[in-house]
Amino acid sequence: MAPLAEPKSLAWSSSSSLSSLLRDLPIVFAALALFFTLLSLAHYWASPVSTQAAIRLDPDALPKYAVFSLARITIAYFFSLMLTLVYAYVAAHNARAERFLIPLLDTLQSIPVLSFLPPVMVAMVSLFPTRQLGVELGSILLIMTGQVWNMTFSVYSSMKSIPREMTEAAETYRLSWWQRFIQLELPYSAIGLVWNSMMSVAGGWFFLMACEMFVLGNHDLRLPGLGSYLQTATNAGDTRAILWGLTVMIAVIVLIDQLVWRPMIAWSEKFKFEQVEASQTPQSPVLDLLRRSRILARTARATVAPAREALTLYFAREHAARHSGPRGRLWGKWIARVLSVAALLGVLYAIGKMTGMLAALSRPELRTIFVGAGATFLRVEFTLLLAGLWTIPAGVYIGLRPKLAAIAQPIAQIAASVPATALFPIVLLFLIRAGGGLGIGSIVLLLLGTQWYVLFNVIAGATSIPTDLKEVCDVFGLSRFERWRRLLLPGIFPYLITGFVTASGGAWNASIVAEYFSFKNQTFSITGLGAVISHATDTGNFRMLLGSTVVMAVIVVTVNRLLWRPLYALANTRFKLES
Amino acid sequence: MNSAAAEKLRASVAQGKWDQAVAMFQRLDPAAAADLLMHLPFEQQQILFRKITAEFAAALVASLPYYHAYVLLHSRPAEEMSAVVDKMNPGERLQFFDELPEEAWQRLMDELAQKPLPAAPPAEGAAVEELVEAGRAALAVESIIEARGIEKSFERPDGGQMLVIAPTDLSVVPGEIIALLGPSGSGKSTLLRILSGLAQPSAGEVLWHGKPLSDSLPNVAIVFQSFALFPWLTVLENVEVPLLARGVEHEERHTRALRTLAAVGLEGFETAYPKDLSGGMKQRVGFARALAVEPEILFMDEPFSALDVLTAENLRSELLELWTGKKMPTRSIFLVTHNIEEAVLLGDRIIVLGRNPARIRADFRVPLAQPRERHSAEFLLYVDYIYKLITQPELQPGPPSERPAKAAYQMLPHARPGGIAGLLELLYDHDGREDLYRVAEELRMEVDDLLPIVEATVLLGFAKSDKGDLEITPSGKVFAEADITTRRTLFRDAALANVTLLEQMHGALTSKSDHAMPLDFFRDILDEHFAGPEVQRQIETALNWGRYGDLFTYDPGSDRVLLEQPASSVEAPGLH
Repeated sequence: MAPLAEPKSLAWSSSSSLSSLLRDLPIVFAALALFFTLLSLAHYWASPVSTQAAIRLDPDALPKYAVFSLARITIAYFFSLMLTLVYAYVAAHNARAERFLIPLLDTLQSIPVLSFLPPVMVAMVSLFPTRQLGVELGSILLIMTGQVWNMTFSVYSSMKSIPREMTEAAETYRLSWWQRFIQLELPYSAIGLVWNSMMSVAGGWFFLMACEMFVLGNHDLRLPGLGSYLQTATNAGDTRAILWGLTVMIAVIVLIDQLVWRPMIAWSEKFKFEQVEASQTPQSPVLDLLRRSRILARTARATVAPAREALTLYFAREHAARHSGPRGRLWGKWIARVLSVAALLGVLYAIGKMTGMLAALSRPELRTIFVGAGATFLRVEFTLLLAGLWTIPAGVYIGLRPKLAAIAQPIAQIAASVPATALFPIVLLFLIRAGGGLGIGSIVLLLLGTQWYVLFNVIAGATSIPTDLKEVCDVFGLSRFERWRRLLLPGIFPYLITGFVTASGGAWNASIVAEYFSFKNQTFSITGLGAVISHATDTGNFRMLLGSTVVMAVIVVTVNRLLWRPLYALANTRFKLES
Repeated sequence: MNSAAAEKLRASVAQGKWDQAVAMFQRLDPAAAADLLMHLPFEQQQILFRKITAEFAAALVASLPYYHAYVLLHSRPAEEMSAVVDKMNPGERLQFFDELPEEAWQRLMDELAQKPLPAAPPAEGAAVEELVEAGRAALAVESIIEARGIEKSFERPDGGQMLVIAPTDLSVVPGEIIALLGPSGSGKSTLLRILSGLAQPSAGEVLWHGKPLSDSLPNVAIVFQSFALFPWLTVLENVEVPLLARGVEHEERHTRALRTLAAVGLEGFETAYPKDLSGGMKQRVGFARALAVEPEILFMDEPFSALDVLTAENLRSELLELWTGKKMPTRSIFLVTHNIEEAVLLGDRIIVLGRNPARIRADFRVPLAQPRERHSAEFLLYVDYIYKLITQPELQPGPPSERPAKAAYQMLPHARPGGIAGLLELLYDHDGREDLYRVAEELRMEVDDLLPIVEATVLLGFAKSDKGDLEITPSGKVFAEADITTRRTLFRDAALANVTLLEQMHGALTSKSDHAMPLDFFRDILDEHFAGPEVQRQIETALNWGRYGDLFTYDPGSDRVLLEQPASSVEAPGLH
């Protein structure tokens, strides 16, 4: 048997080795390029601090800036991923920790990025006082605070919703925590994680300008990157440079979408928890290329597979040993107790400090905060109203026409991935020329940042309305008004709520960049909580920053609990279209 | 029963001293003898039954459950069989015949009428010896799992405890398929999870080979109703999952997984993903994954109920083939099912659970040889018996005294008025009386679906259930003959007269000035009588019945029940 098979397989491999080499060429080049980039980044990070780096506005400086920004976002994303996995795992597995971690997550999510700036920066710069690395890490952590929370929520809720019989199978068959994580929990969370990662990274681009260039007290910090390039160009009023910067940013975003997210989405299709094969699955040529590559396959077989095997076997044996040996190590329990007491004391101390600081707020300061909160509240709700007004008819129109939806959806996705902050200088230039100010501008910016969530969801909702219900409307000759009232609005309701929940949270967070803007060395701002936060950051007024952040967090959490959650529950019971 | 005598008898049976055993046995009171007999391994029962006199056998037949008497009767040669029947007291003989389902009765009549010439089987002596051997083996075994006084309770919202499994003793011995049967919501699955170590009992203990289950690593596997396969792993990888968890190295893992896949007929499907397979194939993967670890006990939680009828039948027979052909290393199978035929088809031993709280109502052996014939008289005998057991709450082993005068709240069976009407029409067409298993067969319904409808019909006084038969009452007859509007009135009257909850709801609504009550009021009341999800089901059923009987309407917006208004003023429930 063996001698027969051998020459055959040899012939096969020699005939195709050339073509397989050709197929692998792009991957080889990509790997080399990546190596070079890492090398130069390391060189830069190890260099002494230069926070006042002059940002050159030449277009040929852009590739380097794009690489710097991309590296920051990528590293921030990987930190986010690590934190997400640990946080979500602990919250999903430890009921006692869950009771504390989930409300904490809810609150952290509602704190705007800029409020994290002072503590993060001070900590990082004091950690690495002489190296560029400190400021860089600060910027990365800042980007991360805008990315991590929704990923964590997604993984946590996925892990909690694993069907009972699956977890029972894992338990009966004695899977170690590692095998359970690798073979059950992570795959089950994969789809949600990929989509949320995509949204998170988009959020990273949105806040890039704020994260790469900021004033902290009397320090004017700027890091070379696309965000600081755009900010500098805006300050200088250099339209040409703004356009160049925008073009490069959009190009990078589209490229990342094609090279990373499309393949990821197509790949994660494998983790869909369904029992039947779907008729239409997302495709990605890049993924096909990677899948066909022999170099990658061989590398994986030589590295990943043995490592995974060894790890799983190691944890399996450890699991069995622990089970047969004496259980419940006493000192482990004590360490946990000591740690939780210490954490509790820390929290109490922080609360005490915070209350002291808040109590020191003067009456006019409080007035500023609350008036700002009111203004931003109205602005956000008005934005949502505007978004609803145009996206509902447009989304339903598109959603009811499958052919149109197939064309419109990818275009809308690209449009949505362009960070509104980057467009802002142009919008503002236009508005100022047309005689408007930041009042309209801020709403336009909020709209640009949030309407897409609503639009996508409305399209998805309209697509899912069953044909037979539409036919019933035709048969009974319902008027256009009746049709909207009886079928279309109730039909898209659950999707609409989902869209609004996401948009509302996003709008609050975006208000910090929308209400306060430096342009041509001049600061434009309007009344609003976002402006208060931005201003407090710029002037290093920690008391105001703390006060306004707490107010914003409280408002966002309250609105979520009192308005969106009940609506969400209603949508899932009364307006659910069951097949 | 005299336990000393029982011990002596058991000892002499185990030693094979049959003459001594028979002498001792025949001195006993027939009722006590029957009870003792039921506790012996079936093979020994057969030998004893064959050796005793026809008179004593006749007395025993009258004291044994009819299904068991019938099977034992057939262990004697035909002419002796009729002698035994002849010796029975006429009243008892009539009752015995009356209880038999039609097929069994018919066959017995034929056999008694024929009286074939006595051609005693020549190898009878040898057969008896064989049986003795088997009996001795059966007595020597020790149980793999032994549950002692296990119970399970959950906390009610008001802080009280709700017992879902009453104290239960149960042991699993090698070499048998145990079928655990019970209506839905009776706690079968919970019991399976406690025995397999997935869940902890609230009280009592489970022993695995004599040691506490929680301290040992029980070698068990579970086949799940929903298959519980990992969709992102191939068939082969799925089967390798438990092997990997036990630290089996790559090479050996691969070989063992492939071997198991071949055993369940999945050769060539190794690289497929579960979503590419049909339901039956998926469950084969589930079996392969379970068998790969060579479990001592294979637990199965309704493994065939997600499959279509033909696929399920096919898989069942293949499982039996593996089991009877000793092609799987498993020593026992514990099967949870709500399908009576499936239990009788597979089970060496059947345990029937009652509900609220779950308790063992019957635990008996099915001494029929495999493969079993669905339409044979013996088979139907067991099916019929189980129907009787499940449909008649008072038919309980044990003292028949307890039956509460009238429960504060009966558990409303989850049946729709339409189903009740349909059943009554069918009964009416069958001259008002029919065997339940025949009704199930005619309607192609499983007992789980049929039982609530039967219970509801009986609760409303439209029919009477009597020993596995269902008989229409005069009011049921009127209902079956009536038109739709009259039916609703009849239903209303029957509900008010027989259903405490509906009567109370209606009473409360009539006495209140605005004729409206929040539904939560009734939920709170029911909370004290039923476990969480059951409260919601009770409410749903009550609303369903109340609406059909024009007792009240329900407004989902305000979550209130309102007294039924004249039809004109009732607002149509719209979307907004």
